[in-house]
Amino acid sequence: MTKEANMTHPAVKVLLGVLKWILIVFFAVYTLFPLIWLVISSLKTNFEFLAGSPFALPAVPQWQNYVNALAVAGLGRMLLNSVFVGVVATLFNVIVASMSAYCISRFRFAGREKIFVLFTAGILVPLNALMVPYFVIINRLGLYNTYGGMILLYCAIGIPISTFLIRGLMDSIPMEVEEAAYIDGCGFFGRFFHVILPLSRTGIVTAATFEFLTCWNEFVFANLIISSEKLRTIQVGIRYFTNQFSTDYVSMYAAIVISIIPSILGYIFFQEQIISGMTSGAVKG
Amino acid sequence: MKLSRSDKGALVAFMLPAILMMLMFFVIPVIYVVAVSFMKWNGISAPAFNDIRNFALLFKDKAFTRSVINNVIWALVAGFIQVPLAMVMAILLSNKPKGWKFFRTVYFFPQVISGIALATLWRAIYSADNGLLNGLLRVIGLGDLARDWLGDIHTAFPSVLIYWVFYVGYYMVIMMADISTIDSSYYEAATIDGASRFQQAIYITIPLIKKTSLLTCVTLASVMGLRQFEQVYMLTNGQPANTTSTIVLYMYKKMQDANYGMASASAVILIIVGVAFIVTIRKIFEGREHD
Repeated sequence: MTKEANMTHPAVKVLLGVLKWILIVFFAVYTLFPLIWLVISSLKTNFEFLAGSPFALPAVPQWQNYVNALAVAGLGRMLLNSVFVGVVATLFNVIVASMSAYCISRFRFAGREKIFVLFTAGILVPLNALMVPYFVIINRLGLYNTYGGMILLYCAIGIPISTFLIRGLMDSIPMEVEEAAYIDGCGFFGRFFHVILPLSRTGIVTAATFEFLTCWNEFVFANLIISSEKLRTIQVGIRYFTNQFSTDYVSMYAAIVISIIPSILGYIFFQEQIISGMTSGAVKG
Repeated sequence: MKLSRSDKGALVAFMLPAILMMLMFFVIPVIYVVAVSFMKWNGISAPAFNDIRNFALLFKDKAFTRSVINNVIWALVAGFIQVPLAMVMAILLSNKPKGWKFFRTVYFFPQVISGIALATLWRAIYSADNGLLNGLLRVIGLGDLARDWLGDIHTAFPSVLIYWVFYVGYYMVIMMADISTIDSSYYEAATIDGASRFQQAIYITIPLIKKTSLLTCVTLASVMGLRQFEQVYMLTNGQPANTTSTIVLYMYKKMQDANYGMASASAVILIIVGVAFIVTIRKIFEGREHD
């Protein structure tokens, strides 16, 4: 070991080591503690929550709060809406993005560079600034307050990032593989469906995971183009809980926990995809 | 790949859906928002050309100028406090201390939870009566400091601003990915020369990520700071006295008032401020290179 050759004073080294762990633990507690507090609060009675210490545990866990959130607030319906919109938008998104990624990755054609610039700019545009045109366009298409409007919008705003993610994977497939299929008489579509698509599976899964998470967490546009209670997604729902449950704190917290659980579980399950999606998206953007 | 004639048709068909969506939801909206920013339009009657009056009105409105200032502060804090914190954590976790995977997973949680859920959680934490923060202060004997954090004109904006500064997971992970690509022979050579981990971070890691992931993160964080909406919308709705407003919240309120001209004008200002930030940050990072 060459560590003994360190010029840093041993005391400084110990201090830095302690500081390191203080930082590491602090950031973890800062993230976890409020979430744990939220879960514990969601299991209290309102009396316990209002009168007791914020750190006390509930005498009896009130699972009833979760029943209230699901039944009274109609959370079940909102969860289904979010799943439906997310799944359909993600499906269309990865189909369209795979097709464009295939063209950009495997062929040199006129306008390819311009398309590339357009997609890059698409990742950087602050989408929130486009609320007015999105509202008008969705209205003009007759899609205001419809599942279709949300699906189309979510599918479209995720196209640049999904295309980049899938293209990255397609770029790594050797040309020889496709050329072999070409010589065997495989056409454009044949090569796409039978050769490239199966080999791009991991890129597509990454893009799909990322797109679904974006849909699941999206609030601004859902709030903008949905007015009917029946079509509300879970995020829009949370905003209404805060009014609906203005005095029933514990049920509101239960509702928030229910909305967070799928994100956390999905994240733990698809951790690598989500992280690689977010980092490569960022690095390329 | 060589393209036969029939393939060219197929290629166009394959590109078309993506191109159409890009035109419809990126190109046309940007042009549209610029066009409407010069018009007076309530969404029902025909839009009328309004010269630059929307912009003049914006800058006379204290709520708007305050929003711009808030966003600029937000972007600076994100780029120059949050990202450096994230960088420190990225360097620490890249050395793979015990349990680093667990910590990486935990730090990233806020990134997968929706902004709305997080804001609602923090509204509960800041709450005057049963909030976690006041409870914590009382437990450690600082009960005098307990207050209505989001209602008090002095603490509202700092409270809204500060809580996500310590959510560093996203930028940390981006920088960790970059650090992992650094050739390990640099560190081996430095270790042989007797450089400590700390010195290695200062002289090897930071210079090597400066123009790649660090630049990316500062840019991303600033842009995120500029487009803030959900947080303030849920936490304070811009109150008290517009002290916590942001450009996007202002724009949203103008839309609710069916004042599409001014809403679009504030969107244009947002885009301009965003571009100015991106260009300036790039200049700062590239300027240092000539030292």
